[in-house]
Amino acid sequence: MGSLKPDHLRTIREAMDRGLLPRWVLTDPDIYALEQEKIFARTWQFLAHESELPRPGDFVTRWMVHDPVIVIRGDDGVVRAFLNSCSHRGTLLCGADFGNQKVFSCPYHGWTFNHYGELVGVALANQVWGPELKREEWGLRPIPRLQAYQGLIFGNLDPAAPPLTDYLGDMRWYLDLIMGRTGGMEVRGVPHRWVVEGNWKLLYENFTGDPYHVQSTHRSTVELGITPNRTLGADRKGYQVVLQNGHGVNVTLYTEIPERPFQRMPEETWPLFRRHLTPVQHDLMQRASVFVGGVFPTLSFVSPLHGTEGDLYNFLNFRVWRPIDPCHVEVWSWFLIDRAAPEGYKQAAYKGYIDSFGPSGTLEQDDTEMWARVMQASQGWMARDRTLQYQNVMNYLMGWGRVDPDPGFPGPGTAYPGLVDAVSRSTHRYWFGLLTDGADGEGDLG
Amino acid sequence: MNLEIRAAIEEFLYHEAYLLDHHRYLEWLDLLTDDIVYRMPVRVTRERREGDDVHSVAVYFDETKASLEKRVRRLYVRSAWVEENQPRQRHFVTNVMVRPTDETDEYAALSYFLVLRSRGSNHDLDRIFGQRDDRLRLVNGTWKLARREILVDEASLHAINLSLFF
Ligand code: FES
Ligand SMILES: [Fe+2]
Repeated sequence: MGSLKPDHLRTIREAMDRGLLPRWVLTDPDIYALEQEKIFARTWQFLAHESELPRPGDFVTRWMVHDPVIVIRGDDGVVRAFLNSCSHRGTLLCGADFGNQKVFSCPYHGWTFNHYGELVGVALANQVWGPELKREEWGLRPIPRLQAYQGLIFGNLDPAAPPLTDYLGDMRWYLDLIMGRTGGMEVRGVPHRWVVEGNWKLLYENFTGDPYHVQSTHRSTVELGITPNRTLGADRKGYQVVLQNGHGVNVTLYTEIPERPFQRMPEETWPLFRRHLTPVQHDLMQRASVFVGGVFPTLSFVSPLHGTEGDLYNFLNFRVWRPIDPCHVEVWSWFLIDRAAPEGYKQAAYKGYIDSFGPSGTLEQDDTEMWARVMQASQGWMARDRTLQYQNVMNYLMGWGRVDPDPGFPGPGTAYPGLVDAVSRSTHRYWFGLLTDGADGEGDLG
Repeated sequence: MNLEIRAAIEEFLYHEAYLLDHHRYLEWLDLLTDDIVYRMPVRVTRERREGDDVHSVAVYFDETKASLEKRVRRLYVRSAWVEENQPRQRHFVTNVMVRPTDETDEYAALSYFLVLRSRGSNHDLDRIFGQRDDRLRLVNGTWKLARREILVDEASLHAINLSLFF
């Protein structure tokens, strides 16, 4: 915990009680260290989508923050995940981003592992090794928990973590909606990866809790008609839905069923929506324009409408905000599309994706500039002071004590109409609870 | 190989870099043919025996003249924050190799690039490097870029965004 004192944590809580968050939590190295132990080692983190591993032997390599992970579909069809590090002396086992292999051999001393993580080959086994090497003890180290929902494979470093379905809670309803709507999604290509300046919390909340930024940060694309004007007008209504465990989703709905319902998905897919969604979900999906949300701590998603040659297409963009240090994140950005969509639609939607999101996306370009600006102004003493003597807090007061939830919203969770900071406030609470082992009484922070 | 043509193509590439570095994107568009194919695939790390490290589907750019025009138009809007404040950027273009093609008026040019970009007082520089596989066409006596395939050498980019062109 370094020099972090109970008083400092108390300062965070007192700020949260007033709808604020201290700025120093963005850059503080002790907070970052504590987050490794209390958050990233305990929460479910997205690793891969099942469509990235269609055949036995397919693998992808990923990161759980600083832990290299290999996710493999075994020859028995089951997906497993291991620390991508040789059990002998720790060498990075597989250097490839993806591929298909029968076994994984370590180049250092030549140990070999199979799809089950078992040590199946030891160099010079008969000459230099005897009974002192118990092979069954030297398999790859498994990621303790691995579970999937709607094709999304998550890992958890905490063997005692609650099941993924419990952790997702009501987010499952929304994942069913955006991922299950036509019977399943597939990843196209490989994720884009690039390093941005920003604290992971800032980036998570940019997607999950901050539709307010769109009107200013992304004004240029609205001005040019690249993206629909999301400032809520008469024809559209926005909700921010607070979910459990720091998750949240923002839903923009047309008030009437538009001419091109189901987020402008092609007409031949419409019957699938009826088949795969509940009547309530079906009605909501007909009127849906944009979904943007997140699964705490580092997964965000957006299901927007974009296009390059006039028409607009829907796609699903998942991203993992992988922390590199307190001030940098490696973004991993996946394009997903309904498996049932025609190939032409998939291609056009992919173009819409690279035009809007990812490092070359005209929307995301401006986001990255804003995150960098926050970080540049957050390195000094006035921002980093833990006692908050300079009022160095961030403002999450929008709607605070004024906007009430709308009980008429059809989905689960607490849905607020319009623009509010409710999701961010809830995310901060959950983050703080994990950081302090659920302490909420005055004395518990000591 | 005709040295005059080689010199003209080198001059074209340097002039192009000059326009890009000075944010003269509208003039840059004039250097492109109307049927330009402008692509930047994602580079990946693979086992050598498993194949090419240029991904066949994933791209950063897959542009037509129209989509490039739209990207350029955006950069001139007042609220294009990537250009406000305007970053300083430099395209270093080297290792130019020019080859004739089957078309009389078209030449293939391969070049290496290093792009550095600086924002404000920030010491975190964007740094992007790789090669460009170009097709240049003589149109009414003027050289135009008809095709560009940009191969970036990093699988995870050291740039906060790709708001610039290569
Ligand atoms: S470290 Fe892998 S075999 Fe020795
Ligand atoms: Fe944004």
